[in-house]
Amino acid sequence: MGKKILLEHIDKPGIKSYEVYRQNGGYNSVEKALKEMKPSDIVEEVKKSGLRGRGGAGFPAGMKWSFIDKKSGNPRYLVCNADESEPGTFKDRYLMEFIPHLLIEGMITSSIALESNLGFIYIRGEYKWIKKILEQAISEARAAGWLGHNILGTGYSLELVVHPGAGAYICGEETALLESLEGKRGNPRIKPPFPAVKGLYGNPTVVNNVETIATVPWIINNGGDAYAKIGIGRSTGTKLISACGNINKPGVYEIELGLPVEEFLNSDEYCGGVHNGKMLKAVVAGGSSVPILPAELFLKTKKGESRLMSYESLSDGGFESGTMLGSGGFIVYDEDQCIVRNTWNFSRFYHHESCGQCSPCREGTGWMEKVLHNLESGHGKMSDIDLLWDIQKKIDGNTICPLGDAAAWPVASAIRHFREEFEWHIEYTHEAQKRNYGLLKSTKEFFAASVV
Amino acid sequence: MTPIAFINDQPFSITPGETILKFVRRNFGHDFVPTLCDAPNLEPFGSCRVCSVDVALVQAGNAKAQASCHTPVIPNSYIYTDSDRIKKLRKNIIELVLTDHPLDCLTCEVNNNCELQTVAARVGIRDVRYPAGKNHLDKKKDLSHPYMTSDFSKCINCFRCVRACDEVQGEFVLSMSGRGFDSHIIKSNENNFFESDCVSCGACAQACPTSAISDVFESKSVVADKKVRTVCTYCGVGCNLDVAVVNGKVKSIQAPYDSDVNQGHTCLKGRFAFSFYNHPDRIKTPMIRRNGELQPATWDEAYNFIAEKLTTILKDYGADSIAGISSARCTNEENYIMQKFIRAVIGTNNIDCCARVCHSPTALGMQRAFGTGAATNSVEDIKHTDCIMVIGANPTDAHPVTGAKIKQFFMKGKPTIVIDPRRTELAKYATYHLQLRPGTNVALLNMMMYYIITEKLEAKEFIEKRTEGYNDFCNQILKVDIAEMESITGVDRNLVREAAMAYAKAPNAMSFHGLGVTEHTQGSYTVMLISDLAMITGNIGRKGVGVNPLRGQNNVQGAADMGCQPHQGAGYMNAYDPEINKQYEAFYKRKIPFGKGLKIPEMFDAAIEGNLKAIWLMGEDVVQTDPNTNKVIAAMKNLDLLVLQEIFMTETCKYATVVLPGATFLEKSGTYTNAERRIQKVQKVVEPLEGTKADGQIIVDIMNRMGYSQAPYEADTMLEEISQIVPFFAGVKWSELGDNGKQWPVRKDGTDTEILHLENFQRVDGKGKFHYFDFKESNEIVKNGKQYPYIITTNRELEHYNSGTMTRRTGNVDILTEDVLMIHPDDAIKNLINEGDMVCVESPRGKVDIKARITDEVKPGILSTTFHFPDVMLNIITSDEHDSEAMCPEYKVVAVNIRKSKGSFKKQNAPLKV
Repeated sequence: MGKKILLEHIDKPGIKSYEVYRQNGGYNSVEKALKEMKPSDIVEEVKKSGLRGRGGAGFPAGMKWSFIDKKSGNPRYLVCNADESEPGTFKDRYLMEFIPHLLIEGMITSSIALESNLGFIYIRGEYKWIKKILEQAISEARAAGWLGHNILGTGYSLELVVHPGAGAYICGEETALLESLEGKRGNPRIKPPFPAVKGLYGNPTVVNNVETIATVPWIINNGGDAYAKIGIGRSTGTKLISACGNINKPGVYEIELGLPVEEFLNSDEYCGGVHNGKMLKAVVAGGSSVPILPAELFLKTKKGESRLMSYESLSDGGFESGTMLGSGGFIVYDEDQCIVRNTWNFSRFYHHESCGQCSPCREGTGWMEKVLHNLESGHGKMSDIDLLWDIQKKIDGNTICPLGDAAAWPVASAIRHFREEFEWHIEYTHEAQKRNYGLLKSTKEFFAASVV
Repeated sequence: MTPIAFINDQPFSITPGETILKFVRRNFGHDFVPTLCDAPNLEPFGSCRVCSVDVALVQAGNAKAQASCHTPVIPNSYIYTDSDRIKKLRKNIIELVLTDHPLDCLTCEVNNNCELQTVAARVGIRDVRYPAGKNHLDKKKDLSHPYMTSDFSKCINCFRCVRACDEVQGEFVLSMSGRGFDSHIIKSNENNFFESDCVSCGACAQACPTSAISDVFESKSVVADKKVRTVCTYCGVGCNLDVAVVNGKVKSIQAPYDSDVNQGHTCLKGRFAFSFYNHPDRIKTPMIRRNGELQPATWDEAYNFIAEKLTTILKDYGADSIAGISSARCTNEENYIMQKFIRAVIGTNNIDCCARVCHSPTALGMQRAFGTGAATNSVEDIKHTDCIMVIGANPTDAHPVTGAKIKQFFMKGKPTIVIDPRRTELAKYATYHLQLRPGTNVALLNMMMYYIITEKLEAKEFIEKRTEGYNDFCNQILKVDIAEMESITGVDRNLVREAAMAYAKAPNAMSFHGLGVTEHTQGSYTVMLISDLAMITGNIGRKGVGVNPLRGQNNVQGAADMGCQPHQGAGYMNAYDPEINKQYEAFYKRKIPFGKGLKIPEMFDAAIEGNLKAIWLMGEDVVQTDPNTNKVIAAMKNLDLLVLQEIFMTETCKYATVVLPGATFLEKSGTYTNAERRIQKVQKVVEPLEGTKADGQIIVDIMNRMGYSQAPYEADTMLEEISQIVPFFAGVKWSELGDNGKQWPVRKDGTDTEILHLENFQRVDGKGKFHYFDFKESNEIVKNGKQYPYIITTNRELEHYNSGTMTRRTGNVDILTEDVLMIHPDDAIKNLINEGDMVCVESPRGKVDIKARITDEVKPGILSTTFHFPDVMLNIITSDEHDSEAMCPEYKVVAVNIRKSKGSFKKQNAPLKV
């Protein structure tokens, strides 16, 4: 059994309620943060913990906090990014739905650290029922004196607001989220200035993912050093992985970073292996936007080392042969899945979600979808593959926000690794309409070699 | 050492905070890097990505593409503007954009002036690799509006129009709806232009890089023989305009981006309301009244007639039986020559101009307080201030470009104060709206000063060093009965206190005022109190502070500067002082009178009494615009000679003896001085309509007829003459005014002045003077308040200008079609008035019928309306009360009674047609 931090008490009956949560040590971190620590101490502990942003980018949380401008005297805000909408990612939903007080407690301790008196949880619009759960948790916490005016008699006051999005993936991008929270169209802002300097309503703001914030109480209670001891290298602590696709046990798992991917995939504690005993074809390791890898590159790095579930190991080899841990949306494809169709499906998503602000993304995502649709439905030309490559290259790195990159990477990686499958789609159009391509030649060779 | 960075391996020094695009443009010119979503007057946006350049940290190192428009320059970085990769990137982006753009360039309005076309040509698009797909080419054109048009099939989603609407005008009418491929521009709630809340400023059309948004004049088309830069003739903002001319006719107008005054912005009046200039109604021949009717005459006949008449009147009744009224709509040169004509040729100080009815109290009040009757600062200072107080002004309607800048400031979260009986657009955005009863400015300002003193927020050092009369002033203020003032003004004392404190505490506070200050019996006093407020808080003599009158007409500052008032000659020198007069006499080479002259209201009185026999009116419709119309008409009827220089047959023309067809601002040259003392060049765009003459030339002609040798009206020579007599014009030369003009005082060496009173005030002893005044109820209310319990106040609407003589002859009349009466819902219910009912508004002078608009923009008991349309002739009801010092009429407080109109509304006073 790996170390459990976030989901330690998840199976306790009634953990959703304030009483049970409190009985299990809930809100201790608030008391400790308010009574025993200075705000700067909390930031220091989080820095020591090495906790990295769990939204996908993996930016050190303590570092982000230390950028916030406390000198200007303007109000500061903590905004929790609960706009979880990346295909394949559903870890925050699980956390918020089943142990809501953990997020509330994290919001409070983090707000104390940032000396903020107003916090927002920007929740995905489709998570309507969870909004109610969180609001219930907030009112329970307020009733118990953990929120509101003069908390624990320390003079510190905090209010939390849950604000729903309206169904736009782009609002998960932190600056678009802030725009949306301000009541405007959710277009990303140009950076700099970064939110830490000029965020919500022009004031210093920290935007953190649900999981990041929910980790803070444990760090306060147990110390940053204790957290840093968990995990591997710069990938400290634990991470929630939402596993789905062709596996035996889809679900949300808390893993200690550094767990070998093979163990995560095959162990009964986690995914329980590929469904129906099929062969593994490919994996998207961190949500739809990270590069897809064929089985052989996913299980072993180019150098031949076993991959681990960590920021560093998964990105080993760069985009040439690696991927990213991302948001932890772990999607598994067996030998029966079609990569062209999958790429088209992802493209359709990004096309639908592009905000339309930057021309490469607005126009490019549409054309990627269209070209991929043509390929998938048997109307492709060989030149389309190069055209696709061209479009994704023009989007990648050339947009205001990372949505453009996110739209480009799945296409780029699919062509990079599965070009033969794309070509097969064009060359054997009729065949491609009837059956899937199956494993890549390289994957077959890889498995053949490992059996020996 | 200044930091450097490299552009294509050449080193250049960086200006701190500069973006890569600015850095490259500064060194290699504007077009070195192609752009699409960038516009000169908008914040960087970074959406088109066409401006991307490669940035590396070492020479020829690993480069990353960065959008240059919003990325700051990194010191010692290597910027490659045209690497193969970047060229390909730009080409690919444009190719993508073109997949959803009609390629009908040859028949497009902006052919050869399209930024997309230019960029496409530059990156070398030869074909589009994408198969035909979904597009927006079937979008319908929007032709609903008299001016604005849109054709969104040509939209490239660069957001420039949306940003122009937000950042420049602050109207938030345009926005982007839908996302991704579905993104499309909407107007208000998916309306067309006409039904939307659009204020027709045209900023979006000018910002649009294609012809997706344009206007009916096709302003962006290259079809123009020439473009002439001139200055707008409407309000005192003084926007620069680029006027396109085709075949000797005005085609369209755009606002130049390099203008200091308006930076590429202007309002619908400046940009679109020019078609009056060749309207069929223009007067094209002189007319003489014969047998009670105005009949066409030649110029010679008219001149002979006038000269003869004037000579007779001079002989029979003396020079003081003749008066001249000059025009703040005309150029400095024309105003100068007009007053010279009256003083030097006729020989009387009976010269005045329409400043009398608007900002005469400002000139007088500020002269007494500071020594100079003009704005202390510049509009540009809005960028440097921390608090703005707007009192008695509605700049978003009356001074739209300055208004838009003030509105932008109001939306940025700094403390703002509006003192106005109406909840104006700015009041809706203000931190403090002090909604006082009309006519109680003095009471309110005294309250503010009381709190500043009792809260100990006065600027002691400033008061000590730079002012006089403070102790007396302070003692008087402390005696003010706050409870009484509170009940007089109707404004909660705590609100006044907070506002006063906000103004006093701001590091830099600026005030703007308009006719809501001056057009009162205590107008001059109010101006002096505003000056007191600035001095008591030390807000004078640096950037971002000051007292800034929003001058109503384009050249109201200039008309006064040129001496169009009885008591001061050109350059404000005392016209009643025989010693100073010698200077004028030497210069004009004629005997100059130093007897008291008549102000406009006094002229009407004198005419009725029979002492005034002739009035020469240059471009002013006194019958429609001066108060108490019936009295004005009586005065006009009683004259032996009424000479009128006009461009249209106005109400006053009905009483004229001779009508002389003048020329519009587009047909003559000269200078206007705007509200910030900026002398700007008005340049002839087209030849005067056949039969018409520049007003200055008409005066010159008659001067010569009457034996005074005056050179023909030319802007440069006339300006030279002015610069020799007006001290603060000393260094003004036509050839040196440049595109953006100069702010007076202009020293001999040509240097101008942005901010007045930096070290000393212009008063005799160099100190500013505090004045205290008790609040005094207007006679109008004292005399008539009981019988006429409502107060009507007058205001302006954006679409029309004053009596509407010009704007009613443009498309503006299709946007705003009539005057309405603003009435509070409570009053409407009390008087059984419904929205749209005709209301009979009656004062002791007479009654008018106006259509009701029920709104809570006014408080109960207060009414407000405009006088843009002669159908209403609102001034039938306005009073004879005027400012005690400057005789500015009290348009803003009129005691009236209201009832639902009995009869159906008749157009009794429709304008004359010739």
